Amino acid sequence: MHLHGTMDDLVVGLAGSGGDGIVSAGESLISAAGYEGYSAMMTKSFGSQVRGGESSCRVRISTHRVQNPGGVLDVAIALNWEDFLKFGAELPVSGSTIVIYEAKTGIAPGAIPLVGVSPKEVFAVPIMEMAKQATGTDKAKNTVVLGLIAGWFGIGRQAILRGLEKRFAKKGAALVQANERAFILGEQFAKEHPLATPRVMDRPVGEPGKKMLVDGNDMCAAASIFAGCEFFGGYPITPSTEVMQFFTREVWKYGGAVLQAEDEIAGIGAAVGASFAGKKAMTATSGPGLALKTEMMGLASIAELPLVIVDVQRGGPSTGIPTKPEQSDLFTAAFSAHGDVLRPILAPTSVSDTFDVTVEAFNIAERYQTPVIILSDQEVAQRKETVDPIDTARFRIEERRLPTESELVDYARFRHTEDGVSPISHPGMKGGNYQGAGIEHNEHANPTASGSVHAAMNAKRFRKLSPLKTRHDLFHIEGSANAKLALVAWGSVAGICREAFMQATAEGLDVKLLVPWLLYPVAEDIYREFFASVRAGFVVELSHQGQLYRILRMFTEVPAGVTSFVRDGANPFQPREVVAKLRGAALSLQQPATTIAWEE
Amino acid sequence: MNSSAAATLHTYQAKDFKSDLKPIWCPGCGDFGVVQAIYRALAGVGRPAHEIAFVSGIGCSSRIPGYTTAYGFNSVHGRALPIAQGIKLANPDLLVLVAGGDGDGFSIGGGHVPHAVRRNIDITYIVMDNQIYGLTKGQLSPTSPRGLKTVTSEYGSLEEPVNPLLYMLAYGAHFVAQGTPADMVGLAQVIEEAIRYPGFSFVNVQSPCVTYGGEEVQVKAHRAQMKSLVSLGHDSGDRLAAMGLAQSYGRELHTGVFYKDPSPPPSFDALVRERQGALAGKAVPRARILDAFMQK
Repeated sequence: MHLHGTMDDLVVGLAGSGGDGIVSAGESLISAAGYEGYSAMMTKSFGSQVRGGESSCRVRISTHRVQNPGGVLDVAIALNWEDFLKFGAELPVSGSTIVIYEAKTGIAPGAIPLVGVSPKEVFAVPIMEMAKQATGTDKAKNTVVLGLIAGWFGIGRQAILRGLEKRFAKKGAALVQANERAFILGEQFAKEHPLATPRVMDRPVGEPGKKMLVDGNDMCAAASIFAGCEFFGGYPITPSTEVMQFFTREVWKYGGAVLQAEDEIAGIGAAVGASFAGKKAMTATSGPGLALKTEMMGLASIAELPLVIVDVQRGGPSTGIPTKPEQSDLFTAAFSAHGDVLRPILAPTSVSDTFDVTVEAFNIAERYQTPVIILSDQEVAQRKETVDPIDTARFRIEERRLPTESELVDYARFRHTEDGVSPISHPGMKGGNYQGAGIEHNEHANPTASGSVHAAMNAKRFRKLSPLKTRHDLFHIEGSANAKLALVAWGSVAGICREAFMQATAEGLDVKLLVPWLLYPVAEDIYREFFASVRAGFVVELSHQGQLYRILRMFTEVPAGVTSFVRDGANPFQPREVVAKLRGAALSLQQPATTIAWEE
Repeated sequence: MNSSAAATLHTYQAKDFKSDLKPIWCPGCGDFGVVQAIYRALAGVGRPAHEIAFVSGIGCSSRIPGYTTAYGFNSVHGRALPIAQGIKLANPDLLVLVAGGDGDGFSIGGGHVPHAVRRNIDITYIVMDNQIYGLTKGQLSPTSPRGLKTVTSEYGSLEEPVNPLLYMLAYGAHFVAQGTPADMVGLAQVIEEAIRYPGFSFVNVQSPCVTYGGEEVQVKAHRAQMKSLVSLGHDSGDRLAAMGLAQSYGRELHTGVFYKDPSPPPSFDALVRERQGALAGKAVPRARILDAFMQK
């Protein structure tokens, strides 16, 4: 935040009970901010109840690109304290936070139940009373809240009013006007009770109406259809279900189909079948579903069928924490399905790059005739982001290599080729008839138990994927090539580390950052090159074990000073914590060697 | 009938569907008869081999696609039905056959069966029911009779078997038939009729295991036991009558069509085509699919 009364970044956290309209207030706010041209991100968090219970959301709005949901709240809004406090570390309040709460709670501003912290300013606001005054019911509390935010921080007045009109138009002009009154009452309250230190958002750089607003699951599904996917087979599971839901709305229009199957296995099975029949196909799931799908993934590997599997990671094992992110499925994504198998894994780091990663997953699947896992996580998948328009013309869409006329003469489906990729036919193609199989097979797809054929086929299936290891475009490296400090981060944690990297660089720390889209196979040379100058650093991950760190150590050399910085799922990192780790690492590098000798 | 099936410009013979691969089955296995019946049925239907996708799971009988010239997919245990449904939805022009054993269909894959039935995708499911796990050398199967002694039931099975016919009828299948290689003509006929049926069709084949099955279940015994449903005067349009007859599964060997819905409902794949057609005009170009997310 700037000290001179304007600011370029604002993190608002709201909490209340299920019926308070917290999420819809957040949606209105991010929608208005996005429309005005700000970069913004919204995350939601709920109790376990389907209806009612506590609910919260965070909206971060900035004139710069928002990379993560932000840390400490600039503004905390509690419609009741009991629900607010349930979110604990997800809605952290500090001495810089402005706290706004429902006056009807009867708690005096000096007695709010936030332990060990004195917020910068505290306002008890008669939110419910104003809602009733404006609309006759307390349902418009969230609209009053929007008025407060617009009044105090100068965000989105026109866009919010426009949004209210769009949202309530169907329910009649009276309701639109009532909500406008509720908004204006909130706004007036803010004007009548100015902040001790006024803070107004800087104006956004871009023009209004030029951004998308979308979550990761919808982006993934849209990217899949863009990439030519015409079949989705799956089973509902939190937090991936929205991918299937998007398909059920859209894919028919493109001549495709969806099967909501009887279970996870049938979901991926149908997708395997559709791929065998020549169509681009996918499934989506979360950890427990991935466990069930593993046998089919092995089948797709040995039958050399293109397939995209989305795993939106959540807290595990088993049911774990279905509504919170964790990066703990990497081991199972890389190593499940028995036998010697190499299955590419890609991880998006934001809603925006979910598009790139999804298109790439289909391209890799089709080019190399292999299952590919997109390892998303609950945060990337379910958070909403403003996204700048994506120029779809810059993407090349790959198709599987079909046999030519001459290759269909005495067609060998699994013919040994130099690059390991054999032309693939599909039912309906005359002369291409073959037996797809989970059983080991020779070049003509006939079953075999021959050790030498098995060895040659394994070699082929691994060889075809080796070009992935030199795909520099699947790695994002920032910072000076000779930096001594390093950060490696993937998935939603990458956004935390991108901001930490910028802060650390601004402080003068000599640091570089590597964010992989490709997690597996491990691109040994790319890491070796990256780590060459590095003496200390961290692989930052939201899991107990630090699974990428361990996989890197399994396949490539990681400098001894590079360690795993982990936190279990559902416990978000903040950029400043990563920066603090880097500071500590930089200090440790400055210890003269003699000191260490003396200590010995 | 499949839409493009009418265009039988070629005539096919059974041998056109026989591949060069030598079956791994034991001499005398009932599955030899089943594959012969399938060749004849496919010749009767008259679709070229490359327009046929033949999916199986795991087990002795699941090797069967490889002995045909169709596109085959010898997949994983119990999962042939989901794969076959994916194939048919991806390309409804294909003729899709599914085959497997009683273990594949009614044990490990049992959860998929009612859903394949209720979805009514136009595929034909042939189960080679031998009441035993043959490939793993003679363990109890879901259709093994109570009391059967096997290597996993040293003192006799304590379980009632599954009744595949009654299950299928109760699940709501619109076409349910049974055959035996003891009656090759009848078997080929019901398979052909099942393939021609517009919707999910099921054929249970009593296919003897020559190695682990007793004398009483071999082809020779079948010849003495089998009773054609036609000879009993059964009305194949009567589901309840079919269920009554199906109750004697395991005691009687009925052959022919138990139930054939005289007014077949539209198949899932036909409805999918309808929906695709109705919505096709609403597609924005793929390159502009993100436009819907714009905050305008």
